[in-house]
Amino acid sequence: MGQTRRVTDLLSVRAASAGTPDTGSALGLLPVTPDELAHASDEGARLLAEHGVTYGTGVSGPRPWRLDPDPMVLDEAEWTGLAAGLEQRASLLDEVLRDLYGPRRLLSEGLLPPAAILSDPALLRAAHGLRLPGSRDLVLAATDLVRGPDGAWAVVDDRTQAPSGAGYAMEGRRIVAQVLASAYRQAPIQRLGPFFRALRHALHASAPPSDDEPAVVLLSPGPGSETAFDQAYLASMLGLPLVEGSDLVVREGRLWLRALDGLEPVDVVLRRVDDAWCDPLELLAGSRLGVPGLVHAVRQGSATIVNPLGAGILENPALLAALPRIARAVLGEDLGLPAAPTWWCGDDDQRRAVLDRLDRLVVLPVARSSGSAGASAAVAGWTLSDEARGELAARIEAEPWRWAAQEPWGRDLDAAHARPATTLRTFAVPEADGGYLVMAGGLARLSGRPDDDSAWRNDARDVWVLQGELDAAEAVDEPVPSRSPVRSMPPRVAENMFWLGRYAERAGQVVRALRVVADRYDDYHARPHSPGGRALAVALEGLLRDPAAPPTAPGESSGPRPSLRDLALDANVEGSVAQSVQALAASAAAVRDQLSTDTFGPISRMERALREERRVVRRTGVDAPDAPPAALTQGLRGLLDRLLESLYAIAGIAAEGLVRDDGWNLLDAGRRLERAQHLTSSLLGTLADVQPPGVETHVLESVLLAHESAITARRRYQGGPGVVGVVELLVLDPDNPRSLVAAIGQLRADLAGVARPPGVGTDQRDRLLADVADLLAELDPAAAVVPGADGRRRRLVETLESLQWRLLAVADEIERAHFVRPGPSYSMQDGWGA
Amino acid sequence: MSRAYDLVHRTTYEYDEPVTDSYGRATLTPRHAPGQHVDEVELVVEPTPGDLASHTDWYGNTSTYFGVTTEHSRLVVTARSRVTVSREAPDPTTLPRRAWDDVAAALAAGDGQALGADPDAMVALHEAVLPSLHVTFAGEVREWAAPSFRPGRPLGELVVDLASRIHDELEYRTGSTTVHTTQVQLLAQRAGVCQDFAHLMLAALRLHGVPARYVSGYLETRPAPGRAKLRGADASHAWVSVWLPGLGWVDVDPTNDQLVDERYVVLGWGRDYHDVPPLRGVIFSEGSGARPHVQVDMVPVGAPRFE
Repeated sequence: MGQTRRVTDLLSVRAASAGTPDTGSALGLLPVTPDELAHASDEGARLLAEHGVTYGTGVSGPRPWRLDPDPMVLDEAEWTGLAAGLEQRASLLDEVLRDLYGPRRLLSEGLLPPAAILSDPALLRAAHGLRLPGSRDLVLAATDLVRGPDGAWAVVDDRTQAPSGAGYAMEGRRIVAQVLASAYRQAPIQRLGPFFRALRHALHASAPPSDDEPAVVLLSPGPGSETAFDQAYLASMLGLPLVEGSDLVVREGRLWLRALDGLEPVDVVLRRVDDAWCDPLELLAGSRLGVPGLVHAVRQGSATIVNPLGAGILENPALLAALPRIARAVLGEDLGLPAAPTWWCGDDDQRRAVLDRLDRLVVLPVARSSGSAGASAAVAGWTLSDEARGELAARIEAEPWRWAAQEPWGRDLDAAHARPATTLRTFAVPEADGGYLVMAGGLARLSGRPDDDSAWRNDARDVWVLQGELDAAEAVDEPVPSRSPVRSMPPRVAENMFWLGRYAERAGQVVRALRVVADRYDDYHARPHSPGGRALAVALEGLLRDPAAPPTAPGESSGPRPSLRDLALDANVEGSVAQSVQALAASAAAVRDQLSTDTFGPISRMERALREERRVVRRTGVDAPDAPPAALTQGLRGLLDRLLESLYAIAGIAAEGLVRDDGWNLLDAGRRLERAQHLTSSLLGTLADVQPPGVETHVLESVLLAHESAITARRRYQGGPGVVGVVELLVLDPDNPRSLVAAIGQLRADLAGVARPPGVGTDQRDRLLADVADLLAELDPAAAVVPGADGRRRRLVETLESLQWRLLAVADEIERAHFVRPGPSYSMQDGWGA
Repeated sequence: MSRAYDLVHRTTYEYDEPVTDSYGRATLTPRHAPGQHVDEVELVVEPTPGDLASHTDWYGNTSTYFGVTTEHSRLVVTARSRVTVSREAPDPTTLPRRAWDDVAAALAAGDGQALGADPDAMVALHEAVLPSLHVTFAGEVREWAAPSFRPGRPLGELVVDLASRIHDELEYRTGSTTVHTTQVQLLAQRAGVCQDFAHLMLAALRLHGVPARYVSGYLETRPAPGRAKLRGADASHAWVSVWLPGLGWVDVDPTNDQLVDERYVVLGWGRDYHDVPPLRGVIFSEGSGARPHVQVDMVPVGAPRFE
C-alpha cells in the first residue's frame, strides 16, 4: 500500500480540505491507492452486473447501473448542519402539502402565487381533503443538493412524487463495502440502516387505524420501469410484496391484493407509480398502471398511499422561490438550507429578471409530472441558438405562469470546460416524534448537464458521512427485518415463477442437445454415410425439434433448419438458447423481489457469454456461407459449457435457496412440465423408427447423453442398453431424476400444494395428470418397442403422442386455474353533446 | 318567482360482451347553489353496486362513486331529483359597467377588494383565468374574439355580446363534435354543441384575463305551441359563469343567447367539461364497450313523471 494513513488522521485531513468547492473523496483521505481504486472500479462493475443492477429502458433494454467506487466523504460537522436543514425542509414541505390539499391558506393569503400552483397538473384536485392518519403527510422526501462556488450546499430540486434512489444507495453502499473492504472497515462511517427502519415504521404509522399488523405493498409500474431495480431492491429490503396495478382491485370500499387463493386486504401502498397514473377512473383515464377506484378507497379511509396522491405538487419550482417566506410565516424560522436562486415567471419582476439573462439560466417548465399534458424537460438557456432562445422567450411571455428558471448552481459557465457538478440526493422520513430522519449519506451522481433530469443515468457514488467516534460494532448495514401479513402472491407473480422454471429447463434441454449434436457433428459430418453420420441426421432432427411445434409426419420436412450456431445464439430463432435466456431474464426481472440477488449472477453471465460469442462470430466470420464445414461448430462447445454451468447454478439456487411456497412449487412445476415435454418430444423424434443396428447404437447414446443418463446406462447395461433399456431408464425409472415418471411424479406433488381461488377447480388438470401416470404405468417397454413391418414402433409412438397432447393440455389447465388475470379495461364513454 | 322541477337522468349501456366490473363516477345530482335548492336526490345503479358513496369535490359539487362487481351486460345509472329554482336572470341592460380590462388588471394584481372577492373567492378567480384541459389559448380564438374585446368595454356588455356572437356565428349541430374537438377546430367548422360553445366562450374570456368557469346542468325545454312535450327528450346542457364585480358569478348560456334564469338547473361547475362530466367510468370486459343511451326528463313538479 502506497500511502496508508491511520483512520484517526482522516478527520483532520478532511477538515483541512473543507471549504473548498471540491467534494470530498476517499482518495487521499483513506488508505487507498489509485491502483486499488482502479481495481475496485472493475470489481464493482463486475458485482453490479452479477446482481443485475440496471437503470433505464429503451430499445436496447436496461443499461448496467454505473458506480464510481470512490465515495464522496462528508465530515460530521458539515453533515450535521446539512441534516438539520433537510429535516426543517421536509417538515416545511409537509406543512405546504397539508395546506394545499386542505385549507389552501398559502394561496388565499398570497404566500404562494395561486397561478403557479393552480396551473400545475401535479395539483390533483381529486386528492383534495385526503389526509394520512399519521402526523405527517409527506413520508418520503428526497432533495437534490449541489455545492456552490463558495463550497456551500444549495438545494436545486425537491423530489416528492415517488422518489427513487434509496435502493440504489443501499446497493451502492454494499458494493463499496465489498470492493473497498479495508477502507470501509477502518473509516468511521454512519450507517444507512436506521433510515430504512424509520421508513418501515413510517409506512406502518401511515396505515388506517387497526389493531392488526398493516399489509403494506410496493406498487411498481412493472419490470419495464427505468428504476425497476431500485423498486425491487427496496421492496426486498422492506419485506414488501412488489405489485403492479393489475394485481390490486377495489371492492366494497377497500383495496385488495388479488392473491392466488382469493383477495387479501391491503392497507398501505408505497407507490412508485406517479400519482396521476394511479387511478384511471378519477385521475388519468386510460392508465394501465393504476387501480380503478383507488382514490375512492383512500377517501373511505380504508387504504393509504405513500407518498399521498398529489404530493408531486411539492416539486413545483415556484415553491423553491417562495419557501423562505413560507418558512418564516409557517414555522417562524428562517430557512436553514438555501436553494439555488430560482424565479417564477408568473411574477412580472421575476419574469423580467429571467428574460434578461435567459442565456445563463436553466429554464424549468412548471408542469413536469409525467402524466400531464404538455409536460416538458428543463432547458439550459446557454445551449440554445439565438433563434431558439427567442422562441422560448415568446413562449414564456405568452403563458408566463408555466415557467420558472434557475441559476445553474455549481457550474461555471465562463470556464472553457465546465466540470460537471456533483449532485447529492438525500432522503428523509418522518419519525414517531414528528421530526424527520435523514438518511446518513445517500447517493451522489455527476450531472452531465444541469438540465439532465434523469437521476441515475450517470456514474453514481456512495456518500460516506463520517462520525466522530469509531463504532466497532456492525461492519455492514443490517437489513431491516420484517414479516408481511400478506401471505400469498398475485397470479402475475405466480405465472412468472412458473415460466422462470420452464425457460430455465428449456434452455438447459437445448444446450445439452446442442452439445451432443455438435460433438457428433465434429466426429461424423465428413462421413455422412457411416453409421455415426446417419445417426447424426437422426439426432439433428429428433433432439433439436421444438416440443411446442406441431409434430411432422415421417419424411415431411418442417422447413429450413436453423444452424446449430443460430439455435444457440440467435434470439429470433424459435426455441433457441438465446431466446430462452432472454425470456428467462425477463421472467426473473418481473419477480425480482422473490429471488435472491445471487440468481442474477448466472443470468448475467449467460447473457454475457452469448453476447461475447456473437461478437467473436462477427469478428471471425466463421458463420460465413463459404466457411469450411468444420467451422460450423467452432467455439460452440465452450459456449455451451459456460451456459450449462450457469443453468446449474440457477437450478442450485432454486433447489437450495428458495422457501417452499407457492412460488417455488410453480417454478419447480414449470421445470418438470418442460422436462416431460422435451423428453417426450425427443424420444418421439429418435426412437419412433427402427434404425440399422450400428446407427441405432449411436442414436441411443446421443439420446442418453442429451438427457444426462449415459453414465447410468453404461453402468446398468453391460453391452449397451438397447431401445428397451433407454425406455426403461428415460421413461419408467422412478429413481432417475431425468425420467418421465420422476418428472410427472414431482409435477403432481408440486401442483398439489399450490393455492387457487375459491370456486376454481383443478379436476381437469388432475385427471389429465392421472391419465399420464396411467399411461406410463401401462407401458411395457419390451412390447412397445417391437416395430411393425414398416419399421415403426407404433405402440411406443401411440403412448408418447398420448402423453404429448396431455402434457400440452396440462399446461393450459395450470394457466387457467392459477394465473387468472383481470380482463382488459376500457374507459366508459359518456354522452358528449347528448 | 320560484319553480320546482322533477328531474330524471338515465344513462344506459348495453354491452355485446359481458362486463365483469364497472367503476363509475357521476356528477348527476344537482348541487346547492345560489338561487337553487335541492329538495330530494337519488342515484340508482343497476345491477346493484357493491359500493356507492358520494362526496363533495374540490369545486363543491356532489360526486358519486359506484363499483359494480357482478357480471353484467347492461348497466343503468338513473339520477332522480326534485329542485326548487328561484334564480332571476339579471337585466342585461343594468349589468355593472366595470370595464373588462379593469377586471383583468385587478385580478392580475390580486386586488380582491376591487373585484368584490374575499380571499377564498380570489383563489377560485385565479383558477378561472387559467387554461385547462379543454380550454386552450389559441391565436385563432384571440382573433375571433378581438372585435368584442374593445378596450374599456363594460364586462357585462361584453359577455352578452360574446354569447350573441356564438349563437349567431356558430351552428348547433348534434354529432358534429366529440370531447376531443378543440376550439380551433370548432372555429374552422363553425358548428358544435353546447359544451363546445361554452368552451369557446371560456377560452375567449380567460385568455383576456377575465375569470370564467364551466357549468353543467339542464334547461327546461318547452314544446312548440300546440305540441305535446316529448318525454325523456331533454338533454344535458352546459353554459358559462362569469365573475362580475358587484354581482359575483353570473351565468350566461351562449347556446341560447340568454342569461340563465329559473328554467335552468345547475348540476355542478369546474374549469371545463373534464371536471364535471355527468358520468365517467372504467369497465373490465373482453368486449370493447358500448355507446351510452341517455334520456333526460325535466318537468315542473306536478306534471306526470317519466317512468
